[in-house]
Amino acid sequence: MSAPAQHPILDPAAAPPFPAAALPVLRNAQLRKNVAHATDVIQGKRNRLVAEKTDWTELRESASAIRAHTLEHLGEYLAEFEERCTLAGGVVHWAADAGEAREIILRILQEEKADEVIKIKTMTSAEIQLNPFLRQNGVRAYETDLAEIILQLGEDEPSHVVVPALHVNRAQVREIFARTMNLPELSDDPQALTAAARTYLRKMFLTVPTAISGANYLIAETGGVAIVESEGNGRMCLTLPRTMITLAGIEKVIPRFRDLEVMLQVLARSATGERMNPYTSLWTGVTPGDGPQHFHVVLLDNGRSAMLRREMERQTLKCIRCGACMNTCPVYRQTGGHAYGSVYPGPIGAILTPQLQKLEHAQTLPYASSLCGACYDVCPVKINIPEVLIDLRAQVTEKERAEDRRFFDPIYVGMRVANWVFASAGRFRLAQRAARLGLRLFTRKDGWIHALPGVGGRWTMTRDLRGLPQQTFREWWAKERGR
Amino acid sequence: MNSSMRASLFITCYNDTLFPETGRAVVRLLERLGVQVEFRPAQTCCGQMHANTGFRGEAFSQAKRFIKLYVDTEAVVIPSSSCVAMIRDQYPGLVSELGNASLQQDFDALLPRVFELSEFLIDKLRVEDVGAYFPHRVTYHASCHGLRALHLGDRPLRLLKRVRGLELANLENLDRCCGFGGTFSVKNAEVSSAMLTTKLQDVMATRAEFCTALDNSCLMHLGGALHREFAAMRTIHMAEILASTETTVAEARA
Amino acid sequence: MTGSRQAVMDRIRAGLGGVVEDGAGRSASLKRDYRQHGTLDAEKKIALLIERLHEYDAEVAECAEPELPATIAAQIARSGRRVLVAPSGLPAAWLVKGADWRVDHELTHAQIEEAEGVVTASFCGVADSGTIVLHHSPSEGRRVLTLLPDWHLCVLRTRDVVETLPEYFARCAEPPRLATYISGPSATADIEMTRIKGVHGPRFLSVVLVRDDG
Repeated sequence: MSAPAQHPILDPAAAPPFPAAALPVLRNAQLRKNVAHATDVIQGKRNRLVAEKTDWTELRESASAIRAHTLEHLGEYLAEFEERCTLAGGVVHWAADAGEAREIILRILQEEKADEVIKIKTMTSAEIQLNPFLRQNGVRAYETDLAEIILQLGEDEPSHVVVPALHVNRAQVREIFARTMNLPELSDDPQALTAAARTYLRKMFLTVPTAISGANYLIAETGGVAIVESEGNGRMCLTLPRTMITLAGIEKVIPRFRDLEVMLQVLARSATGERMNPYTSLWTGVTPGDGPQHFHVVLLDNGRSAMLRREMERQTLKCIRCGACMNTCPVYRQTGGHAYGSVYPGPIGAILTPQLQKLEHAQTLPYASSLCGACYDVCPVKINIPEVLIDLRAQVTEKERAEDRRFFDPIYVGMRVANWVFASAGRFRLAQRAARLGLRLFTRKDGWIHALPGVGGRWTMTRDLRGLPQQTFREWWAKERGR
Repeated sequence: MNSSMRASLFITCYNDTLFPETGRAVVRLLERLGVQVEFRPAQTCCGQMHANTGFRGEAFSQAKRFIKLYVDTEAVVIPSSSCVAMIRDQYPGLVSELGNASLQQDFDALLPRVFELSEFLIDKLRVEDVGAYFPHRVTYHASCHGLRALHLGDRPLRLLKRVRGLELANLENLDRCCGFGGTFSVKNAEVSSAMLTTKLQDVMATRAEFCTALDNSCLMHLGGALHREFAAMRTIHMAEILASTETTVAEARA
Repeated sequence: MTGSRQAVMDRIRAGLGGVVEDGAGRSASLKRDYRQHGTLDAEKKIALLIERLHEYDAEVAECAEPELPATIAAQIARSGRRVLVAPSGLPAAWLVKGADWRVDHELTHAQIEEAEGVVTASFCGVADSGTIVLHHSPSEGRRVLTLLPDWHLCVLRTRDVVETLPEYFARCAEPPRLATYISGPSATADIEMTRIKGVHGPRFLSVVLVRDDG
């Protein structure tokens, strides 16, 4: 049986800790099946297309170098982008945080007298929780990406950065569309469901005069913006409205137009397992007679600049949101995205969210990984996610150990004791003997431990533990080799 | 084969305590291959548990201890992939952060002499056929650290394929983690268990008698679940398989 | 401009150590060891492009330059479409008989939406990924023209076909102000990863390859 539906909380300040947030998902067999299926399919396609690319290693190397270089000179490239975009007729705004970005966007919409706005899928707008804010201020935002429509109409939240509704299956989509679009006869054939979405949106595209997008890349050299997509809803939003607002994190800039020859190749293969995304759109400011005649770019900081100081943390900002790390992650495969309590789930979310939150929230995310390293292997820009996870764990520990209540936390006590023990072979030998004696109480006749108290019980809830043998290795060595 | 080769065996803290048969097997195996094996009882732990749980300060002390203890050795052999990965991937950062020039020098000199067991056999001793006999159906689980941090590649399989009597059963989704992850297994016990269940399905599907690996941490995890499920399959460290011959059977117990 | 430009810039500069070096332009010297140039001969390159186009269900017709108008006419007839839009700069010879042409002299969105198809030229094609590149010149049309109609007939000359994506970028003397790269028809896999063609963009792409490379 599925657990009762709970509305996922993607606000890191309000979300429950990861281990607790994962529980309802672990009990939801249908959701886990949906996630496993979707990630298996994308990962299979990605692996095939990466394998056929003989220069994958070199492309990845260059993609990583371009992103690292850009971040090292972020201020200059942003200034260059601003200058060129402005020359081309765009208006560039700077938002220090989510609140400021929301206000800037609302003000533009109010100047346009807009009470409706169409949107291309943008994780950044979800990061600043734009839609509810606009709603409160009298502007209805309509998502146009199929997955985002499913989520918006189903009052659900994204669980993946590329395929945000991958946790929803066709029967659930049918139910949502039939109910909200008033189509009781709708079948659960994906073809029919997609057609229903097309009809639902067509009029909106042709009539709503304002649009909001994210950006895959901001090109410093030209002041242009690039967006990749599959459905064409992006092209609709970029082309038909009168006014266009692009919201982009400050890290989205790349130096030159030509850098796209690298970034587009690695992105498509990593994100969807395609050689190129069906549509790539590139525009520069305003072009008379073609597309929106008012164009705004909102550059969002919201915690990013604080990640620039140390190279260890800065590498997080190389991310191009391909989602390959989630598709390969064995933890994500079990929990899906909502457990991460952020619009950025999976391994990249586990390092990005706590940093964007300045470690004031989301402290459990760096621990939401077995450090298996699969994410680093597939990352097209070579972000060493396990290394950053370990670094963040150290930062969390530093912060926490100053708190009194942590003094008696079993893990903290255990780590302190272990450190004291490991500092001396003599103490270690004594500890081994103590453990043997202590655990004997819990060891059954078959020589195995089936239940332990305290933290140990977290192990024995699903796993037995072999009882401690009568002789440690060092005891054997001392006896046999006489030292 | 270099018969005058000397090697110092580093036995991971929990292997020493929980899986002494692994250490004994490595000693038997290496001595059979003509290596002079030594063990330094002053050793304790590489510091991985502390580092990976966020206790960086504590990890510094273990790293220093390790480097000082083995600086004069010809080779250090470690039958545990994740400890070798700790030394290769995390020690450099820790050591450079300590900023102690002589420690840095010692570490730089020591690092190329630290070997995971299968690396030591294949790269250092240049032997694939270790003269082992193990007449059982066996499946090999690639630990994440061995696979992705150490890039052991096909070394483990090359060693297993030369074991007489051994029937190798292919494990599906070889690159997928078993869910152990050190303290992850208790901090995120439910997720860890779900990952273990997924892994176990593939392991059980091999219908092998033994599941082997080069890291007892994965084996403790898998073995604990196999025992809980009353499965007939048992876990065994690869050192024990490689140490087995027609005359000495594996110590594999439980 | 609105907002906290100075505050954000200050934080970035503080983060990066306050050093303002001239890094811009140096990205050109970053390591680029990936495949820049194709290795296929002309024939194999075109064959690869056709294979890729077929993989995503695009229709491909080949012809020599003199047969182009006839080929366009034949493709239109095959498609069963009559009301077509055309960019203002489309060669007059391509406005073949048998169709009801609406040439884009400031057509409204509604007029374009009513059309059943569109015929355009293209900037180039990339064989490796089956990509059609539009730079939206007068013969390629403004962006909306190739977006709303359900059927897109695109003329591509073989001399404008490159093998790799970097070769396309090398051909751009200047970065384009507007560009659309089409590598498949509008599609989605958002429902259970089942690939469905034709969400919003044109559902049908037909490519006429003009053999003009000798």
